Amino acid sequence: MNRTSIKNKLILSFLVLILIVVVVVGIANQITNDFITAHAISAALALAAGIIFGGIFSRSIVRRLNSLSSAAKEISRGNLSREIPLLSQDEIRDLEEAFAMMVNDLRDMISEIKRGSSRIEETGGDLSGLIDKVLANSQEIDESALAIAKGSEEQTFIVQKTSLVINKSLEEMDEAARQSAQTVSKANNALVKTETGGANARETLSYLEDVLKQMVENAEPIYRLSNKVEKIKMVMSVMEELSQKTDLLSLNASIEATRAGEMGKGFALVANEIRNMAENSKQSSQEIRRIVDDIFEDNKAVLMSLRKSEDHVAKGREIIHGIVDTFGEMLSGVKDISTEVKKVGDVTRKQAKEMRGLLSQFQELSRLAQENFVSTQRTTIGTKNQKEEIREIVAAMKSLNVLSEKMMETQRRFRLRRD
Amino acid sequence: MECFIFEAAEKCFGMEAHYIYSIADDIQITPVPLAPPCYRGLIYFRGDLFDVIDMGSLMGKERSLPNGNPYVILLKWGQRKLSLISDKIIGITWIENNNGSQTVFTKEGRTVELITPEEIWKILSELPYGP
Repeated sequence: MNRTSIKNKLILSFLVLILIVVVVVGIANQITNDFITAHAISAALALAAGIIFGGIFSRSIVRRLNSLSSAAKEISRGNLSREIPLLSQDEIRDLEEAFAMMVNDLRDMISEIKRGSSRIEETGGDLSGLIDKVLANSQEIDESALAIAKGSEEQTFIVQKTSLVINKSLEEMDEAARQSAQTVSKANNALVKTETGGANARETLSYLEDVLKQMVENAEPIYRLSNKVEKIKMVMSVMEELSQKTDLLSLNASIEATRAGEMGKGFALVANEIRNMAENSKQSSQEIRRIVDDIFEDNKAVLMSLRKSEDHVAKGREIIHGIVDTFGEMLSGVKDISTEVKKVGDVTRKQAKEMRGLLSQFQELSRLAQENFVSTQRTTIGTKNQKEEIREIVAAMKSLNVLSEKMMETQRRFRLRRD
Repeated sequence: MECFIFEAAEKCFGMEAHYIYSIADDIQITPVPLAPPCYRGLIYFRGDLFDVIDMGSLMGKERSLPNGNPYVILLKWGQRKLSLISDKIIGITWIENNNGSQTVFTKEGRTVELITPEEIWKILSELPYGP
């Protein structure tokens, strides 16, 4: 649609009025020759035309302005549902369009405010729930922080106690490692002494073998003597039997001589002498037997002693063999012990090193526990502050809710749709 | 008189030498049952049986030579035969016995009690025999 400005309309109306005046003046001049009358008629017609045109024109503008004014009044009452009619094709059209745009903008704005209020309300509700949760969580955090602080305190105490125990253990392990080193040294000394002992035992064994050999060699004459004594005893038995028989014979001879009377007296003397000789012989034999028995007993004792000595030497040899073996086992055992003690020492030192690492870690743990304690204290303070801030947020939220309520109330005044 | 002297029951006994038949050794003594303890048994010597009497037991003392192999003093008088076991035989010696009534002598420091085979026989006959 072609737009015509009010200025052009006014110019066009003026020109039409002038044209009408000209036409009227011409017509009036035709009709009458009277100039005044002609001018009067022309003036009257021109005024009439002016009034008519002016009325039409002004009415048109006023009507539209009234329409706009009425719309503005309704808008001011909150009725944004009214549509602004776009009636004009001139500069008022711009006003109408601007007004319509303003109404639309207002409508959008109010709608936006409404949505915003609703959102604020919803957000307020959500926020309230969240704040409750946050408060509950803060409470839990508070309690947890308290428990952690207590735990950290106990942990610190335990760690310090454990550190003391580890320190003590470390000292003991150091002592054990030192003792292990000393034991290794002593074991080495024992090793040397055991080797010496083993060598001495072997030497003793060799010496004992020589002694045994010598004893066996020395025993040979004694055994021979024993055999000879046995033979002497046999001879002595024969001699004793002989003297006994002689004694018996002389006794019987004496009896026979007695029975012979005077004739047998000489024989009796001889028999008596023979008996005395037999008796002496018997006594000598008995004496010799006693001596031989003594020799035999002594020899027997010597032999027994020799046998015992041989047995003892054999036992001694066995014992020394055992000692040599024992020394060998001891040597092996001492070597094993030395190796084991060395291993134990190494393990103890390694353990001590690891314990030191552990102690360092425990100290780190203690530091961390203390830091935890401090952190939990800070957390407690933080949660306290957080609670304060949440309370402030709650207060702000309440204010926002009040504002939202007010906005809702304000926007309720506006009617956005035509129902 | 010629006197045969022997020791038994801690005493020295003397007996006239003509009673002595012989002295024997290594004689196997055969024990006789139900006899008194002093009766050691019987021996057989040169065709004769002799009773063997332990003088120690007979005199109420310990047995003579309980373990050894003793000399046995063989006695023969009249028709009787007896053998004695003593502790020790001293031998034959001459002792003075003029009146024949002396029963105890001292010889070479020993107190010798004279005894006869009859007296021994008499003691034996008074002993209980049997169970």
